[in-house]
Amino acid sequence: MSHGSYHPILDPTKAPAFPSAVLPVLRNPQLRKNVAHAIDVIQAKRGKLVAEKTDWQELRTAGAAIRAHALENLGFYLEQFEERCTAAGGVVHWAADAAEARQIIVKLLREENASEVIKIKTMTSAEIQLNPFLESAGVRTYETDLAEIILQLGEDEPSHIVVPALHVNRSQVREIFSRTMGLKDLSDDPKELTNAVRTYLRRKFLDIPTAISGANFLVAETGSVVVVESEGNGRMCLTLPRTMITLAGIEKVLPRFQDLEVMLQVLARSATGERMNPYTSVWTGVKPGDGPQKFHVVLLDNGRSSILAKKTERQTLRCIRCAACMNACPVYRQTGGHAYGSVYPGPIGAILTPQLMELHHARSLPYASSLCGACYEVCPVKINIPEVLLELRSRVVNQGRDQAGRLFDPMYLGLRIASLIFSRAWLFHTAQFFGRVGLRFLRRKDGWIHSLPSIGGKWTQTRDLRGLPSQTFHGWWAARKRETK
Amino acid sequence: MNVHVQPRPRSRQMILERVRAATHSVTKGAGELEDAYAALPRGYVRSGGLSGEARIALMIERLREYGAEVIECGPEQVQAAIAAQLASSGKHTFVVPAGLSAAWLTPGFEWKIDRDLIASEIEQAEGVVTAAFCGVADSGTIVLHHSAAEARRVLTLLPDWHLCVLRARQVVETLPEYFARCEQAPGLATYISGPSATADIEMTRIKGVHGPRLLHVVMVRDE
Repeated sequence: MSHGSYHPILDPTKAPAFPSAVLPVLRNPQLRKNVAHAIDVIQAKRGKLVAEKTDWQELRTAGAAIRAHALENLGFYLEQFEERCTAAGGVVHWAADAAEARQIIVKLLREENASEVIKIKTMTSAEIQLNPFLESAGVRTYETDLAEIILQLGEDEPSHIVVPALHVNRSQVREIFSRTMGLKDLSDDPKELTNAVRTYLRRKFLDIPTAISGANFLVAETGSVVVVESEGNGRMCLTLPRTMITLAGIEKVLPRFQDLEVMLQVLARSATGERMNPYTSVWTGVKPGDGPQKFHVVLLDNGRSSILAKKTERQTLRCIRCAACMNACPVYRQTGGHAYGSVYPGPIGAILTPQLMELHHARSLPYASSLCGACYEVCPVKINIPEVLLELRSRVVNQGRDQAGRLFDPMYLGLRIASLIFSRAWLFHTAQFFGRVGLRFLRRKDGWIHSLPSIGGKWTQTRDLRGLPSQTFHGWWAARKRETK
Repeated sequence: MNVHVQPRPRSRQMILERVRAATHSVTKGAGELEDAYAALPRGYVRSGGLSGEARIALMIERLREYGAEVIECGPEQVQAAIAAQLASSGKHTFVVPAGLSAAWLTPGFEWKIDRDLIASEIEQAEGVVTAAFCGVADSGTIVLHHSAAEARRVLTLLPDWHLCVLRARQVVETLPEYFARCEQAPGLATYISGPSATADIEMTRIKGVHGPRLLHVVMVRDE
């Protein structure tokens, strides 16, 4: 299958449910091979570097506690961040939802007369679908992270939050670059492809005076912003332009500068399997003579405060976007990221996306997991993802319970009938009798039922069912008692 | 035209109210907050156990793993060590921050001293020479706080070749030890761990995407 033959929909309000969204992926062996290869490489590197860290569990404990403390006192720390950032020459804006964030950013760009903007990879901007909005407002966006360029030029969507183009292989990258950059003689050597990007972007970095970034962390104590990266495109964007706009979720706040001693140690190891990522940048407001002289931070809520209000779900907001959970997830390994219908795929996406949508959309995602717990085990800030998945599943069910249409839902009716039967012994015995008699006709010689009729076929589509034995335990027990008398 | 967007106090107030309502049962009062923060578990390794010699050896090993070239010298030979690196670089034009020791500017090369150089001038330089604030041996990280001798951020970004002078006294073993050395949080900081790199294409690690592709370190043994 050629690359880009289908365009994934990463808008949770429009994306198909997970079970149907995975089908194009499961039928695409090239895509599955690309995903599995990338995951295997990261996992091997991460495993080695986590193993050498004798205090890994203590770092996780500290990381979880710092993030939980920041969230529990978020009001205080957000105001402190605003005060310190403003004092250092930054301008802080607050956006209640995606639409407001987009409007603030467009207005800032208009004030700069910006027709072009360079961007550091930010999943938050993808969350609010900033690029299409800016294009429609007449602002051309240039992604500068290599993976984001591959996706932007290939008109594709991210499938991972750290290596967003891991589903694309080198020959596909070569095809995209040679087509869009007009480089006919390009080979598929990753070094040559990377060099093509260095040349392509160098002039853009020097010429475009406005940049947009995300933030890995905001530091309340100092009003600083922290960006963690590998390529140096981030340093270019946050050093060369005249104006810098940072878009950050309100949950990104850390209490103090020193907290980075924990977060930076766990982030790089978890995300890319490195002791430290090549470049980390910390900046505070505006520094005369060094870097952008106008600096704006847009603090985005967009559903986060409602997640904060729920006791079990609050831990979702501890996330530092390292992607260790998706790399460890047996479901993600098979499906890749697009099936999740959101810029946040994998286990963290399965809990974050439905909550950001306040469970109006993406309701199939809490079920996109085997609950094996590998995500919890690797999470550097100890988010108990299976616990949140179960909580969300129960909320999805409860939502359905209130709907009038439930009386036509076979699952709902089936479980109501089952609960009636299980609560009365005589009904249970009668049902057992009829079940034994009825299922006998479906049982094959090997004692197994290979296919059930009508709705039961869904169960036997992927597994066999053992036929009911001719005698129940109750029956056997009663008969044994009679014999011994 | 307005320089700033009109502030929208309503969204600000609304978000803060929602956040406070969401956390009112757990949020601490001002005094308690300090105590709660102080009580956070920090059982991880704060300071390393390596001897001075082993610490420097680890720093050098990590830097070399990243592909950086490291040469050691005594406190008296810094000038000579820099000159040797410059000579073998095959480059001629260098930028330097204004706060760098004038003695380090080896004659025979073209030196552009950064007094508000514009980006295109910096880009034309083939290399840059700076000091550093700190080195973290555990991860081979060079820390710049962008003081007068450590250069503005753009200087260590555009030229393709970076020579950094690091003193053994500045090298700590663990990341928390660096943070302990910051008496005050820096307004600007850059942590460099090896040359810029990407693994975005099939997880194949490629060095030198946008930043300097070549990193040289002069390790001054002043301990």
